[in-house]
Amino acid sequence: MCPMPIVHLAKKVKEMKSGQVLELLADDVGAKEDVPAWCSRTGNQLVGTEEEDKLLKFYIRIK
Amino acid sequence: MTDKFCMVVSEGTFDKAMMPLIMGTTAAAMGSEVHVFYTFFGTKLVTAKGSKPKLPGMYRLFTGMFVKKMKAVGIGSYAEMMQQAKEMGINFYACSTTMGLMGIKESDLLPGVKVLGAAAFLKIASEAKTTLFIG
Repeated sequence: MCPMPIVHLAKKVKEMKSGQVLELLADDVGAKEDVPAWCSRTGNQLVGTEEEDKLLKFYIRIK
Repeated sequence: MTDKFCMVVSEGTFDKAMMPLIMGTTAAAMGSEVHVFYTFFGTKLVTAKGSKPKLPGMYRLFTGMFVKKMKAVGIGSYAEMMQQAKEMGINFYACSTTMGLMGIKESDLLPGVKVLGAAAFLKIASEAKTTLFIG
């Protein structure tokens, strides 16, 4: 739940290399707006989103 | 350039304790530099003694239940969130005037909390894009 997807995301991204794509799974409805907001703020690219039942999937290319 | 995000916390109850940590860790994750100034009853939140806050009024009896519910959705306890916030580099300040009023000594503060006057905090806040008052 909010804000943990964003906090976990920011931590994970630090361990990754530029150009890698991260798959983020979230069950927080807030993530639908939060993840794109985080991407635009931090300059990472959101390359895709999917929704399965209540699970949201985000694909983010690391800058 | 890094944005600055500031908060002033003036109450010491569980809800007022958690909100700045949730907002603060989010802001830090968004790449902001975060500064939190604790004043009046908020100041006890950054002392070793006051680091187990309760919900306000009658709700205080339900604090434990609330903590459990928050844990179930992945939000840690106050101490865990505080640790998380520290690891993310959030800056915590205790109001020097309140410390004088309430007899809080620098040695009572949690590690890493700086003593600051209002003017010094306002200087930081004047450079921030967003400052929120949690009270």
